[in-house]
Amino acid sequence: MTDLRIAAVGDIHLGEDVRGQYRKKLEGIEDRADVFMLAGDLTRHGTLEEGRVVADELRGLPIPVIAVLGNHDYHSDLQYEIASELRDAGVIVLDDDGVVVQCGDKKLGVVGGKGFGGGYAGKCASEFGEREIKNFVSHTRYIAEAWKVALKEIVADHRVVLSHYSPIKETLEGEPPEIYPFLGSYLLAEAVDTAGADLILHGHAHKGSEKGMTPGGIRVRNVALPVLGRAYCVYCLNCADDLQTHP
Amino acid sequence: MEAPQYVAARVQQALAEDGRTHELGIRVDIRGDQLFLRGQVSGAEQRERLGQVAHEVAPELHVHNEINVVEATAPGEDEHLD
Ligand SMILES: [Fe+2]
Ligand SMILES: [Fe+2]
Repeated sequence: MTDLRIAAVGDIHLGEDVRGQYRKKLEGIEDRADVFMLAGDLTRHGTLEEGRVVADELRGLPIPVIAVLGNHDYHSDLQYEIASELRDAGVIVLDDDGVVVQCGDKKLGVVGGKGFGGGYAGKCASEFGEREIKNFVSHTRYIAEAWKVALKEIVADHRVVLSHYSPIKETLEGEPPEIYPFLGSYLLAEAVDTAGADLILHGHAHKGSEKGMTPGGIRVRNVALPVLGRAYCVYCLNCADDLQTHP
Repeated sequence: MEAPQYVAARVQQALAEDGRTHELGIRVDIRGDQLFLRGQVSGAEQRERLGQVAHEVAPELHVHNEINVVEATAPGEDEHLD
């Protein structure tokens, strides 16, 4: 059985002043991973200029590149334009939907999108009261439902969820608890636990921690670049058979 | 005199909302007439911009820019999930 190697990072926050620098760090990524995933906040202010820098950094990589956008990429209301710049550069951009990519002899299904906030079970906002609060919570509910449907529809050997916001609070450890409701929502974890997946990747919490798990036992990794401290991390799925070859 | 907590909150908000910076994770502390900025950013230019914006919002304070610049290194060890 072969490994399925997923390189992942989030929150690269690129701009014109660092053009070309991140690309250098991706050299040889095809020898280390089968697919590259980006968990949103690719730009700083969500301008088209920054979106083009990101597209150029990712253009023509020898492995499939899958991305979601983050809140920063929405800041200038140009998220659709940024997404199409990325798509023109060959990046698969997920927006509450899914894709299946072939990695060697394995089919990898990836579902995801930006996600949203709301907080965690017992300490979260609910759809009650002012219209503004209801809109906030129902936006997250809508997203969670879309992911659940997409996960159920996908036929693949492995399924990974790619998000910007966090589905659990363990990977937020290091962030002030007062802002947890703006960092993610348990509704995302609940949806994925219901539909099933092998791994959830997210970003957004720059001061959070890398590793956690949903209540249903699905591994969660916060791949925000400031958390990883490196250009990307590689996660291998289903590699029990050749653990010995990777001491 | 305005309470230092409100000044710090205003500086932090400016760092997040100013078009030059848009940096959300910076800690702002004020002790007397000294203002401290702490956190991590990805480039030296961004650190300087943050110091500049903080200075503009609170010109009466002396800004100590203690923000670290963290450069992403090459990828390290893989993790095996099984
Ligand atoms: Fe971010
Ligand atoms: Fe974010």
